[in-house]
Amino acid sequence: MERTPELFEKIEDYLQGSLPQEELVTFEQEMEKNDALKEEVAMHRALHTTLQDADTIAFKNKLKNISAHIRLDEAPDVVSIRPNRDGLYYKIAAVIVVVFGIGTLLYTSNSAQHTLDLYGAYYAPFPVEDMTRGEASIEVQGIIKQYGKGIYDSVVVALEKYPNIREQQPLSLYLGNSYLNTDQEEKAIQQFENVEDSKYLEVAQWYLSLTYLKLNKTAKVEELLLEIIGYDGTYKSRATELLQLLEKK
Amino acid sequence: MNTIEDQKILEGIKTGDEVVITAFYKKNMPYIRRYVLQNSGSELDVEDVFQDAIVLIYQKLKVEQIELYASLQTYFYGICKNIWRNRLRKNNRMVSAEDVLEGVEALDPDIVEEIERNEEAHVYRKHFVNLSEACQKVLNMVFNGKSMRQIAESTGYTEGYARKKKFECKEHLIEMIEKDPLYKELKEPIEKN
Repeated sequence: MERTPELFEKIEDYLQGSLPQEELVTFEQEMEKNDALKEEVAMHRALHTTLQDADTIAFKNKLKNISAHIRLDEAPDVVSIRPNRDGLYYKIAAVIVVVFGIGTLLYTSNSAQHTLDLYGAYYAPFPVEDMTRGEASIEVQGIIKQYGKGIYDSVVVALEKYPNIREQQPLSLYLGNSYLNTDQEEKAIQQFENVEDSKYLEVAQWYLSLTYLKLNKTAKVEELLLEIIGYDGTYKSRATELLQLLEKK
Repeated sequence: MNTIEDQKILEGIKTGDEVVITAFYKKNMPYIRRYVLQNSGSELDVEDVFQDAIVLIYQKLKVEQIELYASLQTYFYGICKNIWRNRLRKNNRMVSAEDVLEGVEALDPDIVEEIERNEEAHVYRKHFVNLSEACQKVLNMVFNGKSMRQIAESTGYTEGYARKKKFECKEHLIEMIEKDPLYKELKEPIEKN
């Protein structure tokens, strides 16, 4: 059955007991006749019952983080300072993620979950340290602050309205990363592909490869990783590791 | 026979003490990894079994004290092994029941039942925590009966965007759950068993 916002709202109203009497009767009659609807309602009911336990969800999130910390040894490693055309300096602090115990990631299954786990192990948001200091407008500074705090939805809303974003490549990277963190991968791809400035090309390619990794499009990931390795730059070692893990899958 | 050390660990799990849980994780993961991998499992299965067992203990501790009749380690291994045995049985990967049952520590029948009852919930939680933080926040409010206006106020979205966001997040969550092999197995118990 097709899932629509209207269907979800009706089911939610039904579960909360807020459907008007007339609609309730019609809905229950429809469920009697329609097994798919009945199953859909059962799924929503189970989700609502199980996932309203915020304590257990918080605990599960904590376990996920602990597990990630154990598996990964994060080391802020590379800092490169390059002058831009206006003579100002951009500091790009790239976080190198060293995979702790690569063997633990060599999963036997070739599943999407495997690539999602690799994505989780290798993805870290494009850092904002000292970006455009002194040059950015108050509006942009506010957006960057929100990005740094991980309020990605707001960054998306603000940057989608921002004029001439293609002329300010770091903003494209922030927007691309914000799309990635709000499950809008197709839009993230567009942003990373828009980056043409040679200074940001490698980093954009890296995030583009991670976007395709999240989407489990491994052929495209491998193609991009080979390009990144060819640049012989900041992301070469990470790209090489990731490529090896994908090839051993 | 809760030892002082075991009692401290249980208290740490109950309160979500990251230091205690991390130490527990590091100490016990190798054994569970070896056990699951030797019994037809993958690295993903190892992580799921381990975390689901701790969550089960956490949930028990929220409502009652756990009285141990062996060490906490033995109790925990028993839960992990029972979870894994159930999953193998459900997806017909159990080649020899004796092989897997060997060394499974005896558990209170209540907790064995609880393991069964919790299987679907584990799948839901696993995929929920993989959603973006924004999605988790919106859905958490939906599941706790908050109105769209309240959600919009709390997130700073417009009501229209909050509504759209809620639908997209929930639809994505359901799709992920439906693709999970364990969920499919749980939904076909009669055919499989």
